[in-house]
Amino acid sequence: MNKTAIHTFDAIVVGSGISGGWAAKELTEGGLKTLVLERGRAVEHIKDYSTAFKNPWDFEFGSHLTRKDLAERPIQSSHCDATDKHFYVKDSEHPYVQEKPFKWIRGYQVGGRSLTWGRQSYRFSEMDFEANKADGHGVDWPIRYTDVKDWYDYVEEYVGISGTTEALPHLPDGKFLPAIPMNAIEKYLKESVSKHYQDRIIINGRVANLTEKKEGRGPCMYRNLCSRGCPFGGYFSSNSSTLLDAHNSGNLTLRENSVVKEVIYDDETKKAIGVKIIDAITKIEITYYAKIIFLNASAIATASILLNSVSTSFPNGLGNSSLQVGHNLMDHVVNEGTYGTFNGLLDKYYEGRSPGTIYIPRFQNLDGKTKNLDFIRGYGIQGKGKRENWESKMTSGMGADLKAQLETPGKWKVSLGGRGEVLPNYDNKISLDLQNRDQWGLPLVKIRFEYGANDLAMMEHMTKASEEILLKAGFENVGSYRNSPPPGSAVHEMGTARMGNDPKTSVLNKFNQMHEVKNVFITDGSCMTSSGCQNPSLTYMALTARACEYAIRLFKSDDL
Amino acid sequence: MNRRKAIGGIFALTGIGFTSFTGFKLFFEKASRGQLQNYENLLAELVDVIIPPTDTPGAKEANVHAYIIRFMESCSLNKEYTNFYNGLNDLQETSLSDYDTHFADCTVQQKIALLENLDGNADANSLLGKIENKLRGRSFFTILKSLTVEGYCTSQLGATQLLAYQQIPARYNPITTIKPNQKAWATS
Repeated sequence: MNKTAIHTFDAIVVGSGISGGWAAKELTEGGLKTLVLERGRAVEHIKDYSTAFKNPWDFEFGSHLTRKDLAERPIQSSHCDATDKHFYVKDSEHPYVQEKPFKWIRGYQVGGRSLTWGRQSYRFSEMDFEANKADGHGVDWPIRYTDVKDWYDYVEEYVGISGTTEALPHLPDGKFLPAIPMNAIEKYLKESVSKHYQDRIIINGRVANLTEKKEGRGPCMYRNLCSRGCPFGGYFSSNSSTLLDAHNSGNLTLRENSVVKEVIYDDETKKAIGVKIIDAITKIEITYYAKIIFLNASAIATASILLNSVSTSFPNGLGNSSLQVGHNLMDHVVNEGTYGTFNGLLDKYYEGRSPGTIYIPRFQNLDGKTKNLDFIRGYGIQGKGKRENWESKMTSGMGADLKAQLETPGKWKVSLGGRGEVLPNYDNKISLDLQNRDQWGLPLVKIRFEYGANDLAMMEHMTKASEEILLKAGFENVGSYRNSPPPGSAVHEMGTARMGNDPKTSVLNKFNQMHEVKNVFITDGSCMTSSGCQNPSLTYMALTARACEYAIRLFKSDDL
Repeated sequence: MNRRKAIGGIFALTGIGFTSFTGFKLFFEKASRGQLQNYENLLAELVDVIIPPTDTPGAKEANVHAYIIRFMESCSLNKEYTNFYNGLNDLQETSLSDYDTHFADCTVQQKIALLENLDGNADANSLLGKIENKLRGRSFFTILKSLTVEGYCTSQLGATQLLAYQQIPARYNPITTIKPNQKAWATS
């Protein structure tokens, strides 16, 4: 076999995170010889979860990052600690340019951020897919809920989402495993909210933790140490699930340490013919060829690859005649959080550590009655209740008296945090800094993002609403951290290569296929036309499975 | 008279606020790292005053002083390292001036009195205290106590004997009724 043949596959998937893992599984199970390129190191399920079984006392500095860690990870450090820092990049090795403050939280390894994700999984609703059309922000989604509904079913059944059915039109039910139940304070707060409000309820958070065993995975052991990687496969990650199935198909080739430089476009056939990578360690350039290319590098990285893929036909980046690539960057607006303590239910406790949450689904701008005059669209609130222990308890004094305070369960404390929809805005963007390059000679990514007035009004509202919910329930010491975290903190970047009906104003069509390059599909956060307020990974997964089925059909009928 | 009191006195005379950041910087040189190992015995005494052995082990047996040294040397802010280092020296000086003996040789009552005096001065929760903490870093006693609590509660002895620890709960019982002598969970 000549070199080109060895380097030729049916499909190439760039990225092995939550959407890349799905593309790998679907394409390989569809019979396509698939190469998955991951820029980071190998992480083998179970074997490479180096901290998973460590006890608190097994860490030299507790969960604290050292000064050396902070110097290496000045940005990532707000999202990781000593127990999971190895799944977060060193900023010192992977710089980017913040034209305005924006946290770009990254995990360069096989499995990407699917190892450390929050596991919250909510469907977009009909209202979300119609939102842009209804109020004129951004462009209309080329799909509706009915286009994705069956795909949500499909991925939920595979992933394993625990939750309850609630029959809310704006937060559709799914195929759920039994929910992680609420503890005493969470139940109490749920009842209080139902008593005091007509417009909002508390439901069990929908999380990708297995409350029942699935083949080869789980169930959850209630350690609540998910971000270290789960040796029980208790939650969904690419490593524990999709990549293993892709491997078992016999059609997967996974190449780690492969930094994608560009997608190669052939001006004559008007197709992409392959991908040029730089080996992260040897820095040697290698080209791989395939009939289908899926980009799943995450919203910011995928846009940067497109912008760096310049050809005669596409001087502004691959498939970018619309000049939308890199623009319309969204994250969710989050407030720093609200908390309160409750002086009661002191005879109740719990056993086991829940990785679950409670959730207050969106309750603003659902209909005429819930119309908000300060902002459009809405937000949801995630929360958790537990009894204080030494970590959060205020203590006084010393000696035996202090020990008695420490060993007794403290008051109940509930924390609430909002996640709000950010409007698509052309001015929020990523671009390439051609003057400054990384160690692989690739231009640095520049990020320019600012919340708009609508986003900020929503942030204000979610904080007030959270405080009010706790006060009405009789909580004490209710307060909120007033400084909002910088954009990017929700780690929900999306929108940089959006779907749409019109090639003049969007990058992808209704099957996540590039309008202008039919054999390139993008199914990570880049594709999102609007952000909803739901945690987006579930939607990426559903859209990926849907696009793969379409791509496989085209591949088999030789339409690519 | 110890150094801190002496400086306070000078400031009082000259009318400069003791808490003045510039004044603080002038009088307290930044302490260089790598010195705390020399204070291991003193720290072992200190953590055992804060968390003494009772029917469960004390902080000294749980090796909390070693944890504190590791944290302070490798993780702490420069200004807190300085506060901590100076605090240890001040404590020794106060012990000598007030009781004419080294801290380690003080009676339990004297040790408690020395630390309670520091505890009384640390007002970390008032607004002024919070501003001061932000500017100057937390006080010696605040750092010492919080690291002692943390080091003890994350130690094997503390987590499994004073507190309740399950490495693998395996199941979640969301609502239980508190039992007599119910211990708080070590992890959340």
